[in-house]
Amino acid sequence: MYIKDLYAISPQKTHDLSFENGEWQVLNEYIYKAVEPSYQDLIPNAQLRRMGKAVRMGIGVSLPLLGRNPKPDGIIFGTANGGLEDCIKFLNQIVEYNEGTLTPTNFVQSTPNALAGQVALLSENQGYNMTHVNGSLAFESALLDASLYFDNYHGEEKNLLVGAVEEISDYNYNIDRLGERFKEELVSNVDLLGSGTKGSYCGEGSTQFYLSNNPDNSLAEFKAFKQSSYLSENEIGEFVKSFLDEQKLDTAAIDCLLLGKNGDVSTDSWYEQVEQLFSGKPKVYFKKSVGEYRTVSAFASYLAVRLLNGQAGYLIENGATEKPRTVLIYNHFDAVRHSLILLQK
Amino acid sequence: MTEIVVTGMGAISSIGLTIAENLHSLKHEISGIKKAKHFKSHYSDSLVFGEIDQSDESLLNELGLEKGRGFTRTTLIAIKAFREAVANARLSPEDIASTRTAFISSSTVGGMCYTDDLYHDANMQGAPSEYVKHYEGSDHALQIVRLYGMKGITDVVNTACSSSANAIALGARLLETGKVDRVIAGGSDCLAKFTVNGFNSLRILSEEPCKPFDANREGLSLGEAAGYVVLERRADVSDTSKIQAVFSGFGICNDAFHPSATSDDARGPRMAMELALKRAELNPVDIQYINAHGTGTPNNDVTESFAFSKLFNTVPHFSSTKSYVGHTLAAAGVLEAIYSILSIQNQEVYPSLRVEEPISEFPFRPTLNYTPGVAIGHVLSNSFGFGGNCTSLIFSACI
Repeated sequence: MYIKDLYAISPQKTHDLSFENGEWQVLNEYIYKAVEPSYQDLIPNAQLRRMGKAVRMGIGVSLPLLGRNPKPDGIIFGTANGGLEDCIKFLNQIVEYNEGTLTPTNFVQSTPNALAGQVALLSENQGYNMTHVNGSLAFESALLDASLYFDNYHGEEKNLLVGAVEEISDYNYNIDRLGERFKEELVSNVDLLGSGTKGSYCGEGSTQFYLSNNPDNSLAEFKAFKQSSYLSENEIGEFVKSFLDEQKLDTAAIDCLLLGKNGDVSTDSWYEQVEQLFSGKPKVYFKKSVGEYRTVSAFASYLAVRLLNGQAGYLIENGATEKPRTVLIYNHFDAVRHSLILLQK
Repeated sequence: MTEIVVTGMGAISSIGLTIAENLHSLKHEISGIKKAKHFKSHYSDSLVFGEIDQSDESLLNELGLEKGRGFTRTTLIAIKAFREAVANARLSPEDIASTRTAFISSSTVGGMCYTDDLYHDANMQGAPSEYVKHYEGSDHALQIVRLYGMKGITDVVNTACSSSANAIALGARLLETGKVDRVIAGGSDCLAKFTVNGFNSLRILSEEPCKPFDANREGLSLGEAAGYVVLERRADVSDTSKIQAVFSGFGICNDAFHPSATSDDARGPRMAMELALKRAELNPVDIQYINAHGTGTPNNDVTESFAFSKLFNTVPHFSSTKSYVGHTLAAAGVLEAIYSILSIQNQEVYPSLRVEEPISEFPFRPTLNYTPGVAIGHVLSNSFGFGGNCTSLIFSACI
């Protein structure tokens, strides 16, 4: 699967490419809110007002990508939770009005497939359309779906819009806070990994890729990916090694590691196990830029493509500035669900 | 093309806690849509539901699970149907756990089925509930992955009412491409205040049990169900006695018309059926029975009928088994796939119940009574969802 184009709205200024050109936002917040562009030219105001944040950010990424590329043959999204703000607004109405007469807007906007449906509607795309809600592996599931789609069309050019979205609302922040996923104290994202406490900070955003089975003029390739759940900590090394074996690669073939370390002392040791396998390799800790959320591996993939094309090199931690050709992403959520994504130029 | 077969099925719905009980109700025209016994809502008295007649406590007990550990009703009914499906396919614990086994599930309400607990946690009204880490749409699947020690590919999809139909199609593609050797695919959705109020706010719920394809239909009845099928490549199945049907093809597309209604020309439903026929290398005339989406809303049944009229010179037997179980949302696709397979196995059509006056715009009418002795080689099963998601599946007799 070849990446022809990509775009993201994230807590960094990716929307105008300042982020890749070296402008890095220092964040001193509990919530890393997405820096949203003006949607004025993209979405009519009346529609914009009704859109929840997930749908708004998603469409804000889809429409520019669709505008500068041929109509894709399908649309595939991954999101753990979709439009949660709308979902809980509707829920609050249910409880507070004791199931009285409610307006359907929040309900319709809250369904996770609302984004893929809206993008299909706005771009008049009747093609393949799918939404994966596989928790913190939802983006990986979207990638798998895309690869299955391309497998059906050898020798015939096909293109897909593939991406992910996650929004922060007060409510899901509350739920995850009660679930002890966030830090109680505030440290800057500069110092995120040295905080020495449990939990992380919450991020959000939408990242999307225009994918093709035609390699011409591509920016990079999604070479392989693998997922697993409920691995034990001593199985993680084997998980990574077997993935490299399947790709007929050894650790020396990886030029740069992108790791999902999020500053949570209870689960960062898993990343350290993987770092030990690749001792001395250049590393990027992408959650320092955008925080923790369930489809953050889509952002990591975005960043990987930038690195493979000689951009955003300032984020590589150990000073190596050489342009990598093969990048491996390792991410986990709660140390329960694990994913590896391999990208190549 | 790689032939994909169904080697196991499990289902729980308002017309039965097992496949055998579901079949008995289908044959005897026993509807499960009535006043709810277990589901508590403002609408419990004024509306009717396709409720599974088993309490959460009884499910926990039967499945040997501990109370207070965050098992939602979505999860409990999913585990029960999953357990029946893998036993039916005679999968060993090692088979289920294998990296060569994929699990593709689906749900719309997912872990958010206990509306009041979610309200409590989302608004931080005191100590967290037992469900605080179990609200995600994928939670039921993750619980099953944990309980069975599954090491292979897992996925959960949500394309509203076409969700589990898409889970089955995804599973077949994993088998065709050789990525795995067996797939357990389906979905689960339980009754929740969230969905009941959602559909009520759209004013598409019927006060009386729904009557799909009736001229005076007033809307849908909501139900709850879970269902799973086991899929394998035919060439890999050594014990051919467990082959229940062939999964011949699918069509997936988007209507791209409206967030919660089907286009008047039914371009999405029509395209989904055409794509499924093409993939199955079949013609409309080869289909002997259509298990329609048939929700009972004014919009769906007329547009779906219109699509039939355009696609088929002579419309074959068709019915909506939602007249038995209500609309079970994410689970509808797999439940109707299972009912379609039962139709093939028993060579009989389960009717659309309660149709008094068929829709007058079309010269064809649904099958109105239980009809045995019908030669059924191929069944088309439709699932259309909010967001324009349209999916058609084709199941065939094993010959």
